[in-house]
Amino acid sequence: MPAIRERYDALVIGGGIAGMQAALELSEQGYEVLLVERDPSIGGVMVGLNKVFPTLDCSSCICTPRMAEAAHHPRIQLQTWSEVKRVEKDGDGFRVEVLRKPRYVDEDKCLGCDECELVCPIDVPHEFDYGLGARRAVYVPHANAIPHKAVLDVEHCVYCGKCEKACPTDAFDFAQQPLVDATRVGTVVISTGLQITPMDRKKEYGGGRLPNVLSPLAMERLQSSNGPYGRVLRPSDGRIPRTIGYVQCAGSRDRSIGVPYCSRVCCMYALKQALLLRHYIHDVEVTLYCMDIRAFGKGYEQFYRRAVREGVRIVKGKVARIQETDGRDLLLRVERIDVDGRIEEHRYDLVVLAQGLVPAWHADGVIDIEEAEDGFVRTPEAKLNPSFTTMEGVFVAGVAAGPKDIPDAIVEAGEAAMAAANHLERTRWRAGTARAAEAEETEIEEEPALV
Amino acid sequence: MAEAVAAKTGPAKSALAALRESRGGVSAAMKAWLKDQQDVRKKLRASLAAGARSVPDLAAECGLEPGRVLWHLMAMRRYGEVAEAGEKDRYVLYALKKG
Repeated sequence: MPAIRERYDALVIGGGIAGMQAALELSEQGYEVLLVERDPSIGGVMVGLNKVFPTLDCSSCICTPRMAEAAHHPRIQLQTWSEVKRVEKDGDGFRVEVLRKPRYVDEDKCLGCDECELVCPIDVPHEFDYGLGARRAVYVPHANAIPHKAVLDVEHCVYCGKCEKACPTDAFDFAQQPLVDATRVGTVVISTGLQITPMDRKKEYGGGRLPNVLSPLAMERLQSSNGPYGRVLRPSDGRIPRTIGYVQCAGSRDRSIGVPYCSRVCCMYALKQALLLRHYIHDVEVTLYCMDIRAFGKGYEQFYRRAVREGVRIVKGKVARIQETDGRDLLLRVERIDVDGRIEEHRYDLVVLAQGLVPAWHADGVIDIEEAEDGFVRTPEAKLNPSFTTMEGVFVAGVAAGPKDIPDAIVEAGEAAMAAANHLERTRWRAGTARAAEAEETEIEEEPALV
Repeated sequence: MAEAVAAKTGPAKSALAALRESRGGVSAAMKAWLKDQQDVRKKLRASLAAGARSVPDLAAECGLEPGRVLWHLMAMRRYGEVAEAGEKDRYVLYALKKG
């Protein structure tokens, strides 16, 4: 892992699909980029998804080439397992402090061979699988992780030393300490992504206590071929579900939990998951309870119709309550919207809450930009310059600015990179490496003409 | 050879010991977690030694909550100790891997 240099052209905060896209577009224009990711791997939420809508392409098959490209680009320095602690205006650029968390593994020596993970005696719930699966106290984050390096979770370590003995390259470095490094950059792109509304917000839906009420991201992992169970099973007892209910707007368009906006992707990811469940379990019945279906994007309406054609049942109704029965089945109390407002109860093996999107990060204490009332980064010129924030030279991309789907996040990341490049040219910021050398060459060529 | 091994483990061991000391040793919670994991795995291995079982079968035989059984079984599956061995009545059967 190279040291953090004194100067870069751009800092990109967050290594999900939007951050990778912004970093790649800047680096392709010759700018030196520092890409900081708080997790031990880049890839963000997208690398954990099963398939993308409406094409049903494998999500990681799209995401991992982009991850590899970002990791191997000569003008992008990846700084994973690190957090940006402070960004301050400093002349034409910004002074940045980055906290580098200890992996307790020398990244230059680690082969990502898993030998340490195989001998570690501790299994703990794996964050990547939303707790449904296990990982070891020392682990490579997931099969597609980049960098594909081990990290020691010291909170769960029993200090047995087996990992160190199993390592073929002597990569363990238990003396590593958290380090705060300072650098200077000419521009900043914030691409800190999303989390979903917490399960415990909706008490009437079980408040996160019912094992067979899943978040949509947990269902993504269950449907993934490298998911925690290798197939879709009920977490409470391992049964192959026969009836599955989807509760739409279970964390959006809901003033009672402070999320009044539409999260824009829930209808489509629910339809995608429902359709795939029909493919994966031959006799499963899937019912979506929704106020309406918002299929706004290219090919989305056609996808909705396909899902209905292939047997996904859509019911216009609002789920008021979810209760657990003795056998851990789930009883949904539904107010029908389409049939004179009558109340019905339906029983399901498994329920998925179509939770909304909220910001995964807040600027408070890190950088002096404004956030909007909904907590996303404020974009004062949303129509003409959607990546502009309230601070000159600081731009935003992806869900950090508001809920959006993957194509929109990628388009916006390109716009943010272009705006950041314009800012660098305006301020004539140079990182002092490749770009500066190019600029010097240009000046040398021009000088004789002036003489 | 012995010197090479000592050279390999010596300094790293002291760094590990220093890390352990700096973090106040192994917490009581982690000791309890590890003991529970070992107890559950012992029961599951004993039941699976008699043949393939579903999660409810294992839960009943081992006196464990089915959700816990599934989580531990999936951990064993991930690290190569257990594999699927068919289906019965909407439940997957799991068996110890040979060798």
